[in-house]
Amino acid sequence: MPSNYLDKAPEVAARFARLQQRPITLEVKGLTKEFITPRGTVTALDQVSFSVHKREFMCVIGPSGCGKSTLVRILAGLESATAGDVMVNGKKVSGPGPDRGMVFQGYTLFPWLSVKENVMFGPKVSGVPNTLAEREARQWIDLVGLSRFENSYPHQLSGGMKQRVAIARALANQPQVLFMDEPFGALDAQTRCDMQNYLLEIWRNVDITIVFITHDLDEAVFLSDRILVLDANPGRFREMIEVPVPRPRHNEQLFEPTFAATRMHLEHLIHPPGQESKSAPVIRLTKPDPDVI
Amino acid sequence: MPFSSNQPSWFAIRKELSHMQKLVLTVISFCLPAALWCLVSYVPGVWHPDVKLTVAASREGVATVFTAGDHLSKGYFPKYVDDVRQENAELLAAGASQSNKRKNQKLLRQIAPIAIKANWIKPEQAQDDALIYQIWADLALGKKTLPTLNEENMEIVRLNWQKLSAQSNTFSFQTLPQEMLLKLLPQGVPANPSYLPAPHEVIQAGWRSFTSPPTSDRATMRERFASSVQIIFYGFLWAAIIGVPIGILCGTYGFFSHLFEPFVDFFRYMPAPTFSTLLVAVFAAGDAPKVALVFIGTLPHMILMISKTTRLLDFSLLEAAQTLGAKPRQLIGKVVLPGILPNLYNDLRILLGWAWTWLVIAELIGVKSGLTEVIETQGRFRNFDEVFPIIFLIGFTGFITDQFLSWLHGLLFPWASTSSKLSRKIAVIVTWPIRTVSAGVRKNGKAD
Ligand SMILES: Nc1ncnc2c1ncn2[C@@H]1O[C@H](COP(=O)(O)OP(=O)(O)O)[C@@H](O)[C@H]1O
Ligand SMILES: [Mg+2]
Repeated sequence: MPSNYLDKAPEVAARFARLQQRPITLEVKGLTKEFITPRGTVTALDQVSFSVHKREFMCVIGPSGCGKSTLVRILAGLESATAGDVMVNGKKVSGPGPDRGMVFQGYTLFPWLSVKENVMFGPKVSGVPNTLAEREARQWIDLVGLSRFENSYPHQLSGGMKQRVAIARALANQPQVLFMDEPFGALDAQTRCDMQNYLLEIWRNVDITIVFITHDLDEAVFLSDRILVLDANPGRFREMIEVPVPRPRHNEQLFEPTFAATRMHLEHLIHPPGQESKSAPVIRLTKPDPDVI
Repeated sequence: MPFSSNQPSWFAIRKELSHMQKLVLTVISFCLPAALWCLVSYVPGVWHPDVKLTVAASREGVATVFTAGDHLSKGYFPKYVDDVRQENAELLAAGASQSNKRKNQKLLRQIAPIAIKANWIKPEQAQDDALIYQIWADLALGKKTLPTLNEENMEIVRLNWQKLSAQSNTFSFQTLPQEMLLKLLPQGVPANPSYLPAPHEVIQAGWRSFTSPPTSDRATMRERFASSVQIIFYGFLWAAIIGVPIGILCGTYGFFSHLFEPFVDFFRYMPAPTFSTLLVAVFAAGDAPKVALVFIGTLPHMILMISKTTRLLDFSLLEAAQTLGAKPRQLIGKVVLPGILPNLYNDLRILLGWAWTWLVIAELIGVKSGLTEVIETQGRFRNFDEVFPIIFLIGFTGFITDQFLSWLHGLLFPWASTSSKLSRKIAVIVTWPIRTVSAGVRKNGKAD
């Protein structure tokens, strides 16, 4: 039963229509980024525009080196754009700020602070009193299921646990948008799957808009409402896909036709068919093994 | 069986050894050099390139005068003995004369150093001729024996006594023989050069110098040690007070890095000792120029090392802090400082080790002082058994301090070192006062 990624069930279509009505939380207009390097100018992003609605979950996907990290770093204010605007709730962004949280691939927890103190970091630098910050931190740690580890130090945690702390730490600041740059890229397949479910659970329970960078197609389809596909060299807007897989998501949906069709479409966008260069391998066995084919 | 079979192999490439193995190897690493030293010092036939004189002979018309205890090379010693034999032959050939009495009185006293060594007479009795006369008698008649004298020398003793007793059995200048007495032949034992005293000599000398009662004109070892530690402490403290903030600023801001580092880098190549006379001129005598030398020896390295350490802080931690809303000032206080602290601490540990080098030079400038003065003066007299204890003392002080600081590192920064659960627990207890005080300060700061 060949299914088209554009075919949406009526309730899914209705949901997208409602999402469209929501206020725009993040708006990106004509974003261009050029890096001046000794070997000339590298255009990492070229005229990228899109907008994200309140409490939407958007994924950005594209081949490696297409400028995903650059994009999200500009959105977070860690890098300045060569041209274009980034607006959060209609306010222009310049520099990093607590209204935009960020979760990095390499956990970036403060190793000298315990889990609880890491989560308290954001509120405390913005002047929240110690006791209040501590009470709230406990709630966030509870939300990511690490209450037992609140006094542990990062080096005592596994990769998945560290990333949960990083999420709690970003959320404790109660930002408008949460940017995540391949947050689960360093985790093993099983942990990554668990983390995806965790993240959706958190997203349901917290008033947050998420922009999620990944190069994993399954991850993108599983998590997002819409997927922004970027072209490489230079990074350009390719397509915005509305994922037709209904919510709430669960792992069995990976084998449903709508999921497969969306995934296939993404696959074609990123690795166009016929372009894979597959040269004949050197044959080193004189007598082929019929069972190894 | 000391080691169970699940111990890692002793020679596994890039594998951690067990605690027991590490301990054993640590002990061996100290025992090996010590054993080598003992081997060279105590096993006859190993090295021993010198002869240490037990009996020395004074000679006519030769400039170099050897006394018992002096070192001679093995090659020269036989010639020295032959020369004295030759002189004895000439003395025998010479006839009797009134003037020989004076010479014979001198030769009588040649037994004195040996008698002193054997504790028969006191050093101040070396010219007590009556006593010495008696010693010749006792030796010749076998009433006293001296194993240090070989048969040839005993023969000489008996020959001399024959001549002496023919005149008188007790000393009087008038009755000294007119024929010449003979000289004792030089004797010696194989020895190492004086710059390598044996372990027990070093231990004895060290014990002596550290337990010797205080005298009014010379500082005791304890005072010297305290003065050395004080110089290093103040020199290092001043360097840290100035160097740590500058280093952190250089590592944090490109502005300060380019403002300070080029000159500091240049200054580093001007060896601190070259400033010594200048420092004495500026700070006059006393400890001040010495503290200043430790200071200027340490400071440039400190600034450069700390700025490098600061730059090595994972930049993404600063980015993470910014996305959490930290302002630039907060970044330094809440991310840079705590983030580099364990490495900064280790830098200071290494620099403190180097500061000992500067101390040794510092103590030689102006009015010599402290432990180095002893090395300098005793070394000049070739009393190397007095020198080694001080070298070891400096080494052990540095080593113990460093080991202690390293252990403390595990307590202070449990998150940065692979410390055991126990030491983390201790850390919580040890750092409790500091944490309480700093929490109090923070709370008060808020209230203001
Ligand atoms: N600081 C920089 N200086 C120069 N070029 C950079 C810099 N950061 C990224 N780039 C270039 O920009 C492009 C996009 O990089 P990046 O955003 O990291 O890609 P992605 O995250 O999609 O893999 C790459 O070609 C990379 O070489
Ligand atoms: Mg990237």
